[in-house]
Amino acid sequence: MAFIAQLQMADLAVALFFLGLYGAMSQRNIIKTIMSVGIMDLGAITFFMLANHPADAKPPISSTPAVQMADPVPQALMITAIVIGVSVIAMCLAMYMRVAYRYGTADWNILIRRLEK
Amino acid sequence: MTLSIPLHLLVLLPMIAGAAGFFLPKRTYHQLLFVVNVGVVLIALSIFRDVRWSGEIVQRMADWPDWIAIKLVADLYSAPLVVLTALFFAATFLFSTRADYLDKTFLFLFVLLESALIAVFLSGDLFNIYVLIELGMLLIAILIMYKQDKQSVYDAMLYLMMNFIAMAFMLLGIGYLYRMTGVLDLAGLHQRLAHMGNPRAAVVPYALIMTSIAVKAALFPLFSWLPRAHGAPSAPSIVSAVLSGVQVKAGVYLLVRISQTFSPVIDAAPFFMLLGFVTSVVGFLLAIAQKDIKLILAYHTVSQVGLIVMGLHLGSEVAFWGGMYHIVNHALFKGLLFLTAGIIIEEYGSRSYAEIRGVLRHMPAIGIGTLAGVLGITGAPFFNGSISKYFIQQGLQGDLGGIGMFLINLGTTLSFVKYSVILFGKPAATVKPQRDPYVAGISLLFGLACLAGGLFGGPTVALVYGPQYSAAGALGLEKIVTFVLTLVIAVAAYLLIVKRIGGFLLRVRTFKVSFNQITVLLTLFFVGLMGYTWWTV
Repeated sequence: MAFIAQLQMADLAVALFFLGLYGAMSQRNIIKTIMSVGIMDLGAITFFMLANHPADAKPPISSTPAVQMADPVPQALMITAIVIGVSVIAMCLAMYMRVAYRYGTADWNILIRRLEK
Repeated sequence: MTLSIPLHLLVLLPMIAGAAGFFLPKRTYHQLLFVVNVGVVLIALSIFRDVRWSGEIVQRMADWPDWIAIKLVADLYSAPLVVLTALFFAATFLFSTRADYLDKTFLFLFVLLESALIAVFLSGDLFNIYVLIELGMLLIAILIMYKQDKQSVYDAMLYLMMNFIAMAFMLLGIGYLYRMTGVLDLAGLHQRLAHMGNPRAAVVPYALIMTSIAVKAALFPLFSWLPRAHGAPSAPSIVSAVLSGVQVKAGVYLLVRISQTFSPVIDAAPFFMLLGFVTSVVGFLLAIAQKDIKLILAYHTVSQVGLIVMGLHLGSEVAFWGGMYHIVNHALFKGLLFLTAGIIIEEYGSRSYAEIRGVLRHMPAIGIGTLAGVLGITGAPFFNGSISKYFIQQGLQGDLGGIGMFLINLGTTLSFVKYSVILFGKPAATVKPQRDPYVAGISLLFGLACLAGGLFGGPTVALVYGPQYSAAGALGLEKIVTFVLTLVIAVAAYLLIVKRIGGFLLRVRTFKVSFNQITVLLTLFFVGLMGYTWWTV
């Protein structure tokens, strides 16, 4: 089980990404697929955040000496990515509400059958 | 002496005009946006002139050092596409002058989309590209469900979720790249990748990013979002035209850009060439099965994008520039066809090709425009499609390539024989249609552009991109005979086969892929691409 001991946070983030992908492939409930896609996005964000991030790194705030800092670039970029992710998921949920009112279902397969020809 | 114009002006001008003029009354706002767009076209043209005759322009934001700064790059790939985008938006604003379905929010979102598209073309930074594509994706999702009738909300939701998954792939890929190289700048990545010890380390990020771009470019089997978005019943025709004309091209453009960035370590050209061919064939097969005229056009976009991708990855220089020229050509004729299709649908109150007759007699200007678009897309001699297809064909080797190209041409012609049915016959309505000079003018202008692009094909390519190729062969007797022969076979096939297998076509038409299946296809594509690159590196 040395394999498990060697796992790092970044590996877990990748695992989270693919877990989300599995959810998007297997779940028929629309809300659950939206959640799965959100998990994928968060997995990717976590992975990106951990780039050039040594275990004892300090947050990149002005008083920290530059050598001890974690790389500030991923942190700055990921704030943007988080905001985008939140807004896209909010929009997905808003659209889901419309669809659910109109067709009265939360299941992708039933939804396809109820669409207008 | 040349006055240097900052590149970010092109991106900011439409956006700021859209926001600042929002308080104006609708008509004035529309006119303001049109005037601003004419300005953007002029700026884009002058930037293109600088790029073409004095080399590429690189602009680092806020004067940070190279590789750290966010960069805007205008070069020979991006500058013509920026001009095309600006021209296209200016034309659609003029086209919709008298349209009453537009309101201010719509116009604002539409002009933001223009900014996002231009910024994607100009950006030289991978993360910036990611953010801009997400912005474009959100805008498009709102625009296609704008009228909220029929199943458009479902279409938009499927579009948004599928593309969001693709963008998550891209984000993970960018994360891998940043971890490996420490830069996000495309030029910087290119150099760092060249010095990397183990090329196989680049396989995973490459596959992740390319999968997301393949979704954007609507390659087989990831194109199922495209007909929904482009042919959405509720989307106004100018949105369809812009999506098909310019927005898909952003995907194709990124395909070229990112391939070049990875070129020192990974070359998957044969993979994408084959994929382009398959996309093209599947696209026209599905187009033949459709009844809705907008969906015929939308599936046809899939087919033509496949052809473009095939041309770009054939590995021959003529075919590459042919593919680039076909991007411009396709924007012209498909934009024209979508614009006129919108007007036709409005006039006849029907979307089925079986119920529309006599467009040529009923609405001459629209009819002539449509005819020019059809001739362009089928590659008729003297029209622009023939030139770019001829260039792409020159890159093909052997009989197999020739047969493949003939097959694509035949399929294109066949689906447009079906489409052209709407042009002829006797119109049912006796009421004279309202005359709209803007609509008629733009249709005829686009039609003329299709003709001009064919008559001056060789010189146009030389003027825009530089390389001198003779297009004389495209007008040769052999080509004309081949075209007539293709047309005859297509008409015969339409009458003898397509008209008799209605039941089968209905099954193809109503076959729908669910969201879960789309995600599985996406994952399979990712695994396939990763396996292929791992194998060949």
